[in-house]
Amino acid sequence: MVSIDGTLFAQIVNFIVLVILIRVFVYKPVVKVMHEREAKIAHSIDAAARDAKEAQELLTKYKAQLEEARAEAQEIVDKALKRAQDEYNAAVNNTKQEIEEMKATAKKEIEQEREQAALQLKGEIVTLSLMAANKVIAANMDSDKNKKLVSDFVDKLDENKLGGLSC
Amino acid sequence: MSHGATQGLTILGMPVDLHILIMTWMVMAVVVLLAFIATRNLTEVPTGMQNVFEWIISALNGQVSASLGERGPAVAPFFVSLFLFILIANWWGLVPGMTSPTRSLNTNFGVAVVVVILLHLLGLYYKGFKYIKHFFEPIFPFVVINLLEEIVKPITLSFRLFGNILAGEVLIHILPQILPNVFLEVIPGVVWLGFSLFVGVIQAFIFTILSVSYFANAVKESED
Repeated sequence: MVSIDGTLFAQIVNFIVLVILIRVFVYKPVVKVMHEREAKIAHSIDAAARDAKEAQELLTKYKAQLEEARAEAQEIVDKALKRAQDEYNAAVNNTKQEIEEMKATAKKEIEQEREQAALQLKGEIVTLSLMAANKVIAANMDSDKNKKLVSDFVDKLDENKLGGLSC
Repeated sequence: MSHGATQGLTILGMPVDLHILIMTWMVMAVVVLLAFIATRNLTEVPTGMQNVFEWIISALNGQVSASLGERGPAVAPFFVSLFLFILIANWWGLVPGMTSPTRSLNTNFGVAVVVVILLHLLGLYYKGFKYIKHFFEPIFPFVVINLLEEIVKPITLSFRLFGNILAGEVLIHILPQILPNVFLEVIPGVVWLGFSLFVGVIQAFIFTILSVSYFANAVKESED
């Protein structure tokens, strides 16, 4: 048990054979798989870091674009509001102006018609005065007749309307 | 079971213990079988035995690389084989009817001799004359002490393992005889088996790590 004998040489050979077997059939394939996995994991980590960076960049870009779009939309809304306000103001002004013009025209027409009516009235008054004067001249033989004539004329003035106008 | 070198087989006129040889072949077969199970279907996501082998290989690779530097990977398979062989050999005696090859000094000394011869060969290969010169340092007479140290290395390696494993197996055989009945034997028997499993791992690890450190002295590139 504690002696050294020929078994020693056999064990040396056995061990060397085992080392060769393990090196060829175990160590190499297992280490190869481990290295491949290591490379793959390293690659995956790199890819993940790259993707995360890209995603961050995209996020920043999209946020900037969104902000820009919001600003543009606000600008468009502001412009539209301003235009609507301008149009409203213009419409109100136009209407006011039209109303003023219509009022002015109406005033002018009323003035013209009044003037025309006054002129017509004057003409009729003159005509009547002339008619009255003619009658006075034609019947001016005595003072009684004159009195009666004037009195009749005045009575007629009360009874009838002159030229369609009320006296 | 016969444990003597009485089988009639001889090498260089010396008798051979066939029983230990057969046990060694069985251990080798088990190591190869486990290796086959681990490597027959290698996948990127390891499972089962592949996991165990990967764990052992990466742990030993780490130790070897830390001790031997850039020259570590070249000899790492040797240490993986060393560890697996000694581990299974230590445990083999715990299987009923079997004997640990490592309870024979021939096995342990044989493996230790391979370790020592290989480290000297690699030392000569990597360092050449400088490797021989270092035996005569710091002054010439130290060659005696240095050579003695080299001779002692395989002896300490093999006797440490031999003593531990033999003691474990002897106690496994003695326990049933010193305890009065089988029921009283169960608890100490099981405890001792568990402890022997632990000792098997520790001794395999110590043998391997000491071998690595011996290699480191011989193989690692000197700092200067």
